[in-house]
Amino acid sequence: MGHFIDSIRAMGTTLRNFLRPPVTVEYPTVIRPRPERHRVSFALLIDETGDEACIGCLACERICPSQVIAIKQAPKRESKVTGKKRGYADDFTLDLEACIFCELCVQVCPTDAIVMCREPEVPGFCREDLVLTMDKLYANQKDKALSWGTAGKLLEMQDPARGKAEAKPAEGGEDKSAEAGAEKPKAKAGKAKAAKSAPEPAKSAPEPAKSAPEPAVSAPGQSAALPPATDAKPPAPVEVAAKEVAPASGLPQTAETTTKEIP
Amino acid sequence: MSVVKAKRQNPHFRLDLYEPEADLMVLNFGPQHPSTHGVFRMQLHLDGEKIVKAVPDLGYLHRGVEKLCERLTYVQITPIVDKNDYVSPMHNEQAINMAFEKLLGIEVPRRARYLRTIFAELQRMASHLLWLGTFALDLGGAIGGGASVFLHCFRERELILDLFEEVTGARFHYNTHTIGGNRHDITPGWAQSVKSALAVIESRIPEYESITLSNGIFFERTKGIGVLDGELALELGITGPILRASGVDHDLRRDAPYHAYDEIEVKVASAEGGDCWARSVVRLAELRESLRIVRALVDAVPEGPICGYKPIKLVGQVKIPSGQVYSAMESSRGELGTYVIAGGGEGNVSPYRLKIRPPSFHALSALPYLLPGHMVADAVVILGSLDPIMGEVDR
Repeated sequence: MGHFIDSIRAMGTTLRNFLRPPVTVEYPTVIRPRPERHRVSFALLIDETGDEACIGCLACERICPSQVIAIKQAPKRESKVTGKKRGYADDFTLDLEACIFCELCVQVCPTDAIVMCREPEVPGFCREDLVLTMDKLYANQKDKALSWGTAGKLLEMQDPARGKAEAKPAEGGEDKSAEAGAEKPKAKAGKAKAAKSAPEPAKSAPEPAKSAPEPAVSAPGQSAALPPATDAKPPAPVEVAAKEVAPASGLPQTAETTTKEIP
Repeated sequence: MSVVKAKRQNPHFRLDLYEPEADLMVLNFGPQHPSTHGVFRMQLHLDGEKIVKAVPDLGYLHRGVEKLCERLTYVQITPIVDKNDYVSPMHNEQAINMAFEKLLGIEVPRRARYLRTIFAELQRMASHLLWLGTFALDLGGAIGGGASVFLHCFRERELILDLFEEVTGARFHYNTHTIGGNRHDITPGWAQSVKSALAVIESRIPEYESITLSNGIFFERTKGIGVLDGELALELGITGPILRASGVDHDLRRDAPYHAYDEIEVKVASAEGGDCWARSVVRLAELRESLRIVRALVDAVPEGPICGYKPIKLVGQVKIPSGQVYSAMESSRGELGTYVIAGGGEGNVSPYRLKIRPPSFHALSALPYLLPGHMVADAVVILGSLDPIMGEVDR
């Protein structure tokens, strides 16, 4: 008798759940909204100048825990668009079959070239369909909704005062040769800019208080008079500020291009 | 004490009654059996329907993770250990990073510690929900079709996975922890969605109990089945809900606080009896307790950085020349420990040896003591109540 009452009570719970609206999403016809950071599949980006953003530095190939990325480095050549000498990747293959979607390759990319997509690959009929070649990766930028994460955004989230920490490994770290192609021209341009108008980098940099306090305080009119007045000190803060400009100026623009591409 | 020692030396003490051994029927339970929670094999020696000897056989899911970690660098290990305990990957990530942080002597920022605590407790809830569902499946049709409990639990577990997905972008293998903190910060509206998900789960817990704990059939299937003595459990190295169900009040969250557990009081659930019933009671009480902790912490997350160390930028970025450390945390299944000896790889970028102490492995060592004397149908219930995850047992 006791079991009978228990069963009735259990049936009551079942009935209550029976009357609730279903939570199942009938997948192929209805696709559940995916959050911004959702990560499946990959894309390579074309940067704001219209050139390939990937400089073939092998950072992602080295950090991949399951070694699914294979890059063929190209010799450094002049960019067709900007005319600056920089590195390129001749071939870029990413094997999704063994990928564990850890997002480490995205985080280490020095030029924000590789990002993840929010739309998965369409199932194919052979294993080769899951191997993303360079053409597929570049096509993904246009065809698929891109995920939120880029190297710049991820690093900024983890370390808001990043300009300070970034300056050290870039100078003496192992990635010197890798980043040299992309960093130096930008840094030079940034330095020239910074020399002309000192307060500008202070605005764009996330935390200028420590690295360059003087330009931040000074009004635009005074900036011309400032460098000769304190001749010994400014080079150091300007150098740091210039380094901050390089990634900071690149970031918002790439973000814009990615948002444009999303249909 | 001497009694326990005798038990340890010969778990198959009932076998003395049966001579010669060849009279017994040998039943291979698993490795393809759906009730073995993965690929786990037991040799059951039966006298009729009664088990007189049980020999667990492990290793069907061995992937060599520890050896693999010796070849990977410190920054690459986090996404790999996600796959150990695939029901609570957050705990694995946290355990391994806690060990590295201890080696390097890094202080984790307060915000990251809060986030880790919230993630750990949410993951514990998800894990216990999955346990309850699969345990109901193990009991089978006895409780009005175990599949309904299973589906109800999975429905609520999905809410938690959605929360994780919003923060980390992945539903399961998150890779959201890094050395020194977290990789992903929470999104602006996340606390609100946590609270609404918790409200749903809290309202559903009485429903689970109406089908399981307050059901007479569930009671009869679990009460007095698989009684584990507290002293024996301690000697076998069993921790977590199984130990607490045996009357030993031990919880690393309270006894050796890590993350932000020193800032919040953890009411440790324990029960007497040590049988499957007590283990169920403890796990459902932990579900409520985790709910309370998350609710208390999610509004109190302090501002500040989420990572106290350089973000990952290079493969060989973290170099630890020497040292060894053991660090432990309370996962959903018990004490998840990591023992690291530093100084391997070229340029000290990899661990020389990395040993993971999984709680499920120790839980399975109780099987030869628990099973003899029970029916074959109870073997499934006892194994289910231990909540083993074979990915973590074999690594």
